[in-house]
Amino acid sequence: MQPLANVTPLKSAARAGAIEVKNVGQVFKTRSQDVVALEDVSLEVKPGRFVVLVGPSGCGKSTLLMTMAGLRQQTSGTITISGAPIMQPDPDRVGVVFQEASLFPWLTAEDNVEFPLALRSVPKAERRAKAQDALRLVGLEGFGRRHPHELSGGMKQRVSIARGLVQDPPVLLMDEPFAALDEQTRMTMGDELLRIWAATGKTVVFVTHSLTEAVYLADEVIVMSARPGRIVDHLQVQLPRPRTYEMLSGDAFGALRDRIWRHIRKSA
Amino acid sequence: MSAKTLRYLIVIGLIALWELLPRTGLIPELFLPSLSSTLMAGWTDAGEYGHALAVTLYEVVVSMAFACGGGILLGAIVGSLPRPRVLIMPMVSSLYAVPLVILYPVFTVWLGIGSESKIAFASIYGFLPTMLATAAGIQTIDPQLLLAARSMGATLSQRLVRVIIPAAIPTVLSGLRVGGALVIVGVVVSEMLISSAGIGYLISRYRTILDSPHVFAGVLLVLFLAIAFNAVIRWIERKAAIWQTGTRAGEANDEIASGAMQPAT
Repeated sequence: MQPLANVTPLKSAARAGAIEVKNVGQVFKTRSQDVVALEDVSLEVKPGRFVVLVGPSGCGKSTLLMTMAGLRQQTSGTITISGAPIMQPDPDRVGVVFQEASLFPWLTAEDNVEFPLALRSVPKAERRAKAQDALRLVGLEGFGRRHPHELSGGMKQRVSIARGLVQDPPVLLMDEPFAALDEQTRMTMGDELLRIWAATGKTVVFVTHSLTEAVYLADEVIVMSARPGRIVDHLQVQLPRPRTYEMLSGDAFGALRDRIWRHIRKSA
Repeated sequence: MSAKTLRYLIVIGLIALWELLPRTGLIPELFLPSLSSTLMAGWTDAGEYGHALAVTLYEVVVSMAFACGGGILLGAIVGSLPRPRVLIMPMVSSLYAVPLVILYPVFTVWLGIGSESKIAFASIYGFLPTMLATAAGIQTIDPQLLLAARSMGATLSQRLVRVIIPAAIPTVLSGLRVGGALVIVGVVVSEMLISSAGIGYLISRYRTILDSPHVFAGVLLVLFLAIAFNAVIRWIERKAAIWQTGTRAGEANDEIASGAMQPAT
């Protein structure tokens, strides 16, 4: 894994990419009652770690991710990223990758990647150069002129990742990015993501339903319980890197997956 | 044989029938004058038809500006804000079923029998589908796209210009297609009812004196007007909607335009 050099020149290098979630609660008010989506969630992510959030459907893992992205205001508690609280979306500090559908269908792949730069009026030449770099990083060199409907599911998701990386934020938040992909593509994309992560040294927080995917990708797995969403376990995955397909059938892998499954079965 | 050549053959066949049936006397010239006598009637009174076309075109263009401008503006408001939607949509939807032509006599009382009453009527006539389509187009925008834009730091106005408007274009265009066609109908029908100028007026006047070739010359002119409008909209759709294969906007669009649009891939 690469050290974090020059990712956010304005912040102190030591804390760039660090995430701190302290006693965060999230309550949705509906007409009839208040729904507690998150209750007293605290966690800490060191710079450059790959952390996966898992939990049963509706446990608030996506809500937590959206709150970390500044897309949703927490009801209580604080979230700090790179040493400063996050109150609203800040693409300099946090890149977000959503599920497949979030590419703009009327823009080409490169225009999609350039979108966040265009929002802040970065000059065209610089925009194009950065987008090309990002597309090369995700293995899509030469596909920039295609529209999303001309790309496969996996390629679309690569474009999304390139878009999340184009402003070089120290943190990448990923909300079930591979959920819509078929099994094979999903495995390949997992390996690709690990390669990109190793090459860039980003802090990654990744939400998924898949326990196998969680253990395969993660340095740490955080398990959440069903509503109200709480952290029930925090596992360190000690498997060596690079991860290989053979590890999936190993005892260490199985033990970690079983441990997560027992938590989820209990609360589902 | 391809569908395209077949289509051309059908059109050519119809034109030939139009010429031959009246000439052979199978259909009396009073009911259907032959194509050549129709064209001749139009040619000999070209000045009169040209003037009528100018009047009709002027009314159509102004009405379209009102219908489309107003329809898109109000549709955008109604589509993006829930409160006006709840207030207005039921009214508009039930109004859609009313034959609005009953309003036309009222407009002539208010505005006279000149162009103003036609413009008022045709504008309202074309306004409703444009507005409904725009509202639907904005409502069916994938919320993920807006969330993604927000995560990249897009302000409200950037989201409007860079996400909402481009995402709504295909549905709005299909609304324009329907709305624009209704504007042409509205103008011509109102000219035929009560007026003193325009193609509709000419058709109506020649009908009362049983001059069939002149009636059909007017009909032919309206036909060309409609085809030209359709071609323009098609061209805009091709330019603007290159991406819309397999998107939500594309699907919504198909429902409204009932498959009239061709995917441009």
